[in-house]
Amino acid sequence: MDLTVASVEHITREFRAVVLSGFGNELIPLTSDHGSEPCPKALIPVANKPVIDYVLTWIEGSGIKDVLLICPTTHKAAISHHIHSDLTAASSSLRIDVQTYDESTETPGGTCALLRHFSSRITEDFVVLPCDFLPPSTLPLTSILNKFRTESISDGSLATTCWFAAHQQEKNTIVEEWGSPPAPSPIVWDESTGTLLHIDSPDDLDWNSEELELRMSLLSHYPRTRLSTNFQDSHIYVCRRSILDLLHEKQHFDSLREEFMPWLCKIQYQRLKQEKYGRILNPITNAATQTVALNHSSLHFSKGSRAKAGDYTPDEEPPSPLDSDAISEFSSLRVGIVIHQGPGYATRVNTIQSLMEINRRLLLDTTYSLPTDPKSRSLIDQKAQISSDSMIGDFTQVSERTTIKKSVVGKHCVIGKMAKIVGCVLFDHCVVEDGAKLDGCVLGKNTKVGSKAELSRVVTQAGYEFSPGETTKNEKLEVTDWTAEVDNSEEGSDDESVDENEDEE
Amino acid sequence: MAPKSLGKEKQIGDDDEVLQAVILADSFNKRFRPLTTRKPRCLLPICNAPLLDWTFESLALAGVQEIFVICRSHAEQVKETIAESRWSKPGSGIKIVPIMTAKETFSSGDALRDVYTRGLVTGDFVLVHGDLVSNIRVDEVVRVHKERKKKDRDAIMTIVVKECGGGGRTRSKGDSSIFVLDSETSECLHIESVIGYPRKTHIRIPREILVEHPDVDIRNDLIDCGIDVCSVEVPSLFQDNFDYLDIRRDFVHGVLTSDLLMKNIYCYVAKGGYAARVQDTKSYDSISKDILSRWTFPLVPDNNHPAGHVYEHRRGNKYIARDNSVLLARTSKIGNNSLVGSGAQVFNNAQIISSVIGRNCIIGHNTVIDNAYIFDNTKIGSGCFIEQSIIGTGVTVGDDTKISRGCLIGDGVSLASGIQLEPFVRLSKRIDDEDDDDSEVEDIEEDQDAAQARLGVDANVIVWTRTSFSGSEHDEADEDGVDNIKNQRFMRIGDDAADLDVSDAGSESGDEESESDDDESDLHLGNLPTSSSTSLETGGVISSDLKAENELRHEVNQSLERAFTEGHSLENAAVELKTLRMASNVPITRVREAVISAIVEKISIIEGGGVPQRREIAGVVSRWGPLIGKIGGFDAVETISELQIHCTTSTRFPLFGQILAALYQEDIVEEEDIRAWHNLPASQGDGNEQMKKCWLIGGQMIEQFDEQESDDDDEEESDS
Repeated sequence: MDLTVASVEHITREFRAVVLSGFGNELIPLTSDHGSEPCPKALIPVANKPVIDYVLTWIEGSGIKDVLLICPTTHKAAISHHIHSDLTAASSSLRIDVQTYDESTETPGGTCALLRHFSSRITEDFVVLPCDFLPPSTLPLTSILNKFRTESISDGSLATTCWFAAHQQEKNTIVEEWGSPPAPSPIVWDESTGTLLHIDSPDDLDWNSEELELRMSLLSHYPRTRLSTNFQDSHIYVCRRSILDLLHEKQHFDSLREEFMPWLCKIQYQRLKQEKYGRILNPITNAATQTVALNHSSLHFSKGSRAKAGDYTPDEEPPSPLDSDAISEFSSLRVGIVIHQGPGYATRVNTIQSLMEINRRLLLDTTYSLPTDPKSRSLIDQKAQISSDSMIGDFTQVSERTTIKKSVVGKHCVIGKMAKIVGCVLFDHCVVEDGAKLDGCVLGKNTKVGSKAELSRVVTQAGYEFSPGETTKNEKLEVTDWTAEVDNSEEGSDDESVDENEDEE
Repeated sequence: MAPKSLGKEKQIGDDDEVLQAVILADSFNKRFRPLTTRKPRCLLPICNAPLLDWTFESLALAGVQEIFVICRSHAEQVKETIAESRWSKPGSGIKIVPIMTAKETFSSGDALRDVYTRGLVTGDFVLVHGDLVSNIRVDEVVRVHKERKKKDRDAIMTIVVKECGGGGRTRSKGDSSIFVLDSETSECLHIESVIGYPRKTHIRIPREILVEHPDVDIRNDLIDCGIDVCSVEVPSLFQDNFDYLDIRRDFVHGVLTSDLLMKNIYCYVAKGGYAARVQDTKSYDSISKDILSRWTFPLVPDNNHPAGHVYEHRRGNKYIARDNSVLLARTSKIGNNSLVGSGAQVFNNAQIISSVIGRNCIIGHNTVIDNAYIFDNTKIGSGCFIEQSIIGTGVTVGDDTKISRGCLIGDGVSLASGIQLEPFVRLSKRIDDEDDDDSEVEDIEEDQDAAQARLGVDANVIVWTRTSFSGSEHDEADEDGVDNIKNQRFMRIGDDAADLDVSDAGSESGDEESESDDDESDLHLGNLPTSSSTSLETGGVISSDLKAENELRHEVNQSLERAFTEGHSLENAAVELKTLRMASNVPITRVREAVISAIVEKISIIEGGGVPQRREIAGVVSRWGPLIGKIGGFDAVETISELQIHCTTSTRFPLFGQILAALYQEDIVEEEDIRAWHNLPASQGDGNEQMKKCWLIGGQMIEQFDEQESDDDDEEESDS
């Protein structure tokens, strides 16, 4: 046995990260095309750094080297350009394989279909990650991988998921026009073993909207479980390679999150499913050789008995190490769960609300200081007031007597005189002319705000232009709205006045 | 100074509040028969002390000072036992009051209503059953309950539950519950009772509880100890809701699901300690073993024995009466976890394995007693074999008898030598003066002679039906299903119900419709197609709904008839209807339909029509029409639709227009309502001729309205 070769091969090939980058339909209009140029979700800046960089850094931190990045064909150019540019030093040690799929924005295809399609490229256990997850520093990817490593070997766990506490947003920061945050799906899990047992999928909700149905076999295997609606799926799934075979078997699943994972959770307590799919899942059999040893261990949880330390009850017989059915059930086929409750704020940047929220939170930790580089320094006027909880990108010009507070301003922006920017996120190349007032806005790339325009809680598509003096509130604006010209703004105001009248009535 | 001391006094008064307990000494079921034909269950001995004494002991441990024992069947015996109990002796610090309740008390609910009418409890009290064995510090629970009440005024009850492993022997498979508790406050949000058979495959948690409680625990590992700390309003709630029978199934469920009561129930999850109820023969077995293996410490035979016996604790949890009256032959063997009462004699080569032998019992040579419970004064001959059975008081068993598992032998039975009893035989002694108890006979095998011949017992012995083997004969299909025959098997001593316990195969076609073809192979494996069962279920729901509706319609008609004939005021009639609606739990529209049809039918048809007919209609509508608006949830448009629907099927069909006009005159429906109704697509009747005609009549009215608007002067004319 050649130890050196084998071990090298093994370490590099332990996991492959599969990063899925979609269109970001929830982020429209920020992700709508800018002319012919796409604005991929992966490149949406969070605190002036594309969101995918956070994910790639996180992956790198865990020691995974191979990344398969799957994005729509139209996005490939932009994304590969970003990844291969020198600016992103983060991805230096990763081997990123960018693959594309053809799909239109209208019919976003299933994540399951993508994995099926690229399954030939995945030859080892893999981690599915979204491109928009913002990991907190307190949750390294390694901790999730470690849980998978232990459990897949000790008792044949299939996959490990990660859920994070959904933070309730303060009422006043929610802008209803931006769409409501996704309803968190209730999950059931076993705390002592960290096993995910049930995800209440949208199908379940359709099936029975009044009640949540749980199988008795779940409760008899795991008598003490928790049910919570407080958590959101991070869409991080550490999976065995055999999961891909299972995906090929179950052709009709489209969505990994909404269909496949809820179904996968059921295998662990439904005997027929176990019999049927156990063959495919083909669990690593070295578990069998360790069974006796593990049963002697007080840390091992044999299935069905909840041997929690210090929880000795009169009725429970101590599990016998030679328990015969323990051997027959060495492979639990269960799905692990890592719950992140803080400290540290985790989120997915998949809604405008969460984009604003994460920017706001990241700003709390930064302190702005004027750039030291004389060239950039010269662009910012002495008389501009920039509060310390702001962030200004490189090469951005800020003119005199402009106030910037609690905002992120991208690179290469031009801010005119006497402008006032509070609680905004400006992407790169925005132009804000003199005397404009912006409050709580998210402006896409190349947005142009005319002088003395007043915008409040507005989201724009890349390339949108506001004419001077325009006043807009609580809207999502696309370029098509703007090309409809001035009528639109009048209509808008008309609408508002009509609304008011109605209210009065 | 004075007010301060007053406050202090008050505080002391608070502390001195007497802790009261109510024991429901009747079980209201028959699981122990025939052992309980002549003795209430609470007086059955467990480890040679009556259950009731164990309960007193448990309560005394908890610091209860006043106990009311509600007894129904064999009340005199209970009273006697209480009088003899050492807790009734002066100086025991506990006041025990037996309360004789009426024979008509058939449920725990009735008993609590009795508690209310007698005004027994004055403050928070502990409600337990007469079959409790516990060493949990209930006073701690009471303290927690009182504390909680300061924060949440609606907390009326704290249920004590005990953690146990999933497969604990004390947890009954036949009758357990899944608790859904708030993770932080342990407020009880939902209870789902689980029975062994028919098997439950799903539990259903109402989604609405997740709105207010995003984090909940689902616990399938809790034993319901039957100890409830109740606030004083609990009996009055029973009084108000006269249909509550069972505490768990009706009261707790009612409080949790009702949006009218606005009360909360909490659970106290006891981590340590022991508590269990002797609910059936199976739990009798497991609790006996728990006592013998000292889980109930300090309540163990050699210490605090409730009946005051003194036992010597020997190695291996053997308990032998200490008064030197026990005679154990040198070659006899007493196994671990066994108890032998005073005056017992065990002869040569007899073996006693994990069993309890009562006082003054005689066990013959070579007899083996394996996991059996033998009450006082019983004689077992030599060469017998008895396993997993309960033998009553004063039984005589002849030589070479075999009593297989699960047998229950009633008091005073005598069995001749050489009899071989099959498993689960139940025998009792014939009682000649069997007149006082009417219901006792039904369980007895019909053809006594044949049964006696088959078992080889003599004519003095009554053979009871063997429920599990000839199940269909006496289908005592209980409504709640807990006492169905197959489920009872989970509660029988010695029955492992292995043939019933089909493990949940799991796969189902119902939840994944798209997968149905995929899972066909699963179905072949013998899985019952759940899709069909769910459809059956919903069918059942619908039919029960229909039934409720029919009942309601009937009730409403009767109530209105009374109102019509006796001339009630509108308010009284409306209140009566509202109550009806709540009782039968149907949507308001059903009530309205019923009211409208009743009013329409009230209008008598006058031959020839014309003015007298019109006057009749106006009279009825003006007298009773406003009732439609008073029953709540009034919607004029729907009212018209319902009137239309009713008229099409009624003999009053020709009167539709006039009734509608009368309703309009009485301002019950407005012009806009008629127009809105007329615009509804459903009003046109989908090809139904009668409906269509009604619609056309409505159209004519609207035309009239239009005319009126055009010239207001003609208003009176067009009306009359």
